[in-house]
Amino acid sequence: MKRKLLGVIDATTYHDDLEDLLTHRSLAALPFGGRYRIIDFVLSNMVNSGIRSVAIFPKMQYRSLMDHLGSGKNWDLNRKRDGLFFFPSPIVDSDGNKIGSFELFAANMDYFYRSTQEYAIITNCYTIFNMNFRPILDWHRHAKCDITEIHHQDGTSMEMYLIKTSFLIKLIETRHETGYTCMKDVVTAIHNGYSICHYEYDGYSVMIDSIESYFSTSMKLLESDVWKQLFLKDQPILTKVKDEPPTKYVKGSCVKNAMIANGCFIGGTVENSIVSRGVKIGKGAVIKNCIIMQKCHIEENCYLDSVILDKDVKVEAGAHLTGTNRSPYVIRKGSKQGALMNS
Amino acid sequence: MAKKKCVAMLLAGGKGSRLNSLTKDLAKPAVPFGGKYRIIDFTLSNCANSGIDTVGVLTQYQPLLLNSYIGIGSAWDLDRKDGGVTVLPPYSESSEVKWYTGTASAIYQNLNYLKQYQPDYVLILSGDHIYKMNYESMLEYHIEKRADVTISLIEVPWVEASRFGIMNTNDDMRIVEFEEKPSNPKNNLASMGIYIFSWNILKEYLEMDDRNPDSSHDFGKDVIPLLLEENKKLFAYPFKGYWKDVGTVQSLWEANMDLLGEHCELDLFAQDWRIYSVNPNQPPQYISSDAIVKESLINEGCTIEGEIDKSVLFQGVTVGKGSMIKESVIMPDATIGNNCLIEKAIVPYDVKIPDGTVIRSFDDEIILVTEEMLVGFIQLVK
Repeated sequence: MKRKLLGVIDATTYHDDLEDLLTHRSLAALPFGGRYRIIDFVLSNMVNSGIRSVAIFPKMQYRSLMDHLGSGKNWDLNRKRDGLFFFPSPIVDSDGNKIGSFELFAANMDYFYRSTQEYAIITNCYTIFNMNFRPILDWHRHAKCDITEIHHQDGTSMEMYLIKTSFLIKLIETRHETGYTCMKDVVTAIHNGYSICHYEYDGYSVMIDSIESYFSTSMKLLESDVWKQLFLKDQPILTKVKDEPPTKYVKGSCVKNAMIANGCFIGGTVENSIVSRGVKIGKGAVIKNCIIMQKCHIEENCYLDSVILDKDVKVEAGAHLTGTNRSPYVIRKGSKQGALMNS
Repeated sequence: MAKKKCVAMLLAGGKGSRLNSLTKDLAKPAVPFGGKYRIIDFTLSNCANSGIDTVGVLTQYQPLLLNSYIGIGSAWDLDRKDGGVTVLPPYSESSEVKWYTGTASAIYQNLNYLKQYQPDYVLILSGDHIYKMNYESMLEYHIEKRADVTISLIEVPWVEASRFGIMNTNDDMRIVEFEEKPSNPKNNLASMGIYIFSWNILKEYLEMDDRNPDSSHDFGKDVIPLLLEENKKLFAYPFKGYWKDVGTVQSLWEANMDLLGEHCELDLFAQDWRIYSVNPNQPPQYISSDAIVKESLINEGCTIEGEIDKSVLFQGVTVGKGSMIKESVIMPDATIGNNCLIEKAIVPYDVKIPDGTVIRSFDDEIILVTEEMLVGFIQLVK
């Protein structure tokens, strides 16, 4: 596999609907599932599939993404040859929602020229799934396709494409003549003479494109048949490690149906919620149907229902915050919520 | 090789025989502790946090797991271009294999490792203890006192003093007498087995000790008494804080229980003195709708469907429905079936406890669960 497949992650996507959570980070770096960032899923899938060279194309607000990925060590991608490559986009006003923009790739052609891998897989950065790409490569070669597009079971595109690297280079080089701006243009065009195949992926996969889908997909993690499909022993989702101690439950804690990361200090009630690393929940506090991101501090006797707390939020003692299932109340990173500031 | 002011030598060959089956195939420093750590993490993290970046780890007994665990030291930020961690197993010289016969001989046989860094000071540590300590402060003390050797001491309860090496000092903290396990201790300041030697003294006395056929080549029994006899400047460095030798099943259990409760003496949550460990990179713990968790410490990768009370659970532990875990320590990847009761016990790594198993202690003695015990139990219920 080392010499066979190149991983290309398009991390330029921005969804307006997620604005509250994306003011200071890119979509790829959105925290998910208590200890992950969204990009961990596709990146780990690539590594678990034996891919040893991964290129990430981010755009703006990529500080948190770079901080998260570092040298790629946590994914074993800090290699002498190949490994993790980071190509921030020089194009400011490109359409951020075209997966696999040729203009973007063109700015870093050397990477494609120099790579020895025969095939490339181009993916988006915001899908929650645990998929091995090996079978699709075998399938693609066997079916003699020019491009294979991965589909959900319902037939919609997962915005992931398998292609010969040499063909990808040709598409990028000829983008002005053909008018194709991205992978989607190529696969949706008719009469171009290329054989476009569809590969149906029947495992769990969800693309996060709104607060609502972010919230509901997070809550799905609490269903054991979902997390059993995402967190596999032999295909682990890897992430940046933090050296947090185990989570401590003290007198007065009551936790039901929750996913809780390390380094938390739990003194109150937590139900149907996702709690990230290093969160403190005070005595008498009640957290229901919430997503609590890293290092939040919820003081005594607060009541939170259907709330998303971004990182480093402090909720002062006695505060009441509630949202709804369809429209959870989002509290921005680093803010402070006093007891009198009700939603 | 760049010169280093201070190099640490960590003795990690301890067999820990009183930990019974827990140390059957791993050395004592590799025994799991505190829901996430291995005992040696504390000493290695202390080194990293004290700014000591060159550490020789002396292994001998069951070194396989320990060696691969330490690796190149990246978990403790000790993978360095200059120095870093070096695992030092016994080696053979021309015709004979030289096993480490005592703590002093282990260091003596690695003088060449030390010489390449031309250190001014050598810090000698044991990988058997749980504590947080700033070795840099101890080194400053050693330099300030112009000592030949500085020994770290901790106050122990008077009733236990006769189990330790007891140091008697003058008003200036200079050590005037050392008694190994005295029956009538004159004070309760016990040696923690942590020494800082000035390099020349260490070299000279280790060579001298090696030539002595009557020596058992142990720091406490041979080298320290000889230094005292020759009137060298030995100073006591008083340490205050949590320190525990987890040498027995009982004390290992106690030290784990010490971590529960809201305020504990050994604070694992302190940001300024992190205890590093090889991270298992597992998903967050899942607490089901049927679970009850009270006053416990639980690591990532656990799936809890039963009741957990005053217990420590390591990564990857599964507890089935209707089971109750009380005042127990469950080590990595152990699986507890449904409707089990486990009270005052240590369940070792990877052990599978079948549905309906009851393990409880009727006196206060802690039960170390073994595979054999479980086989016996299953036959009993059949």
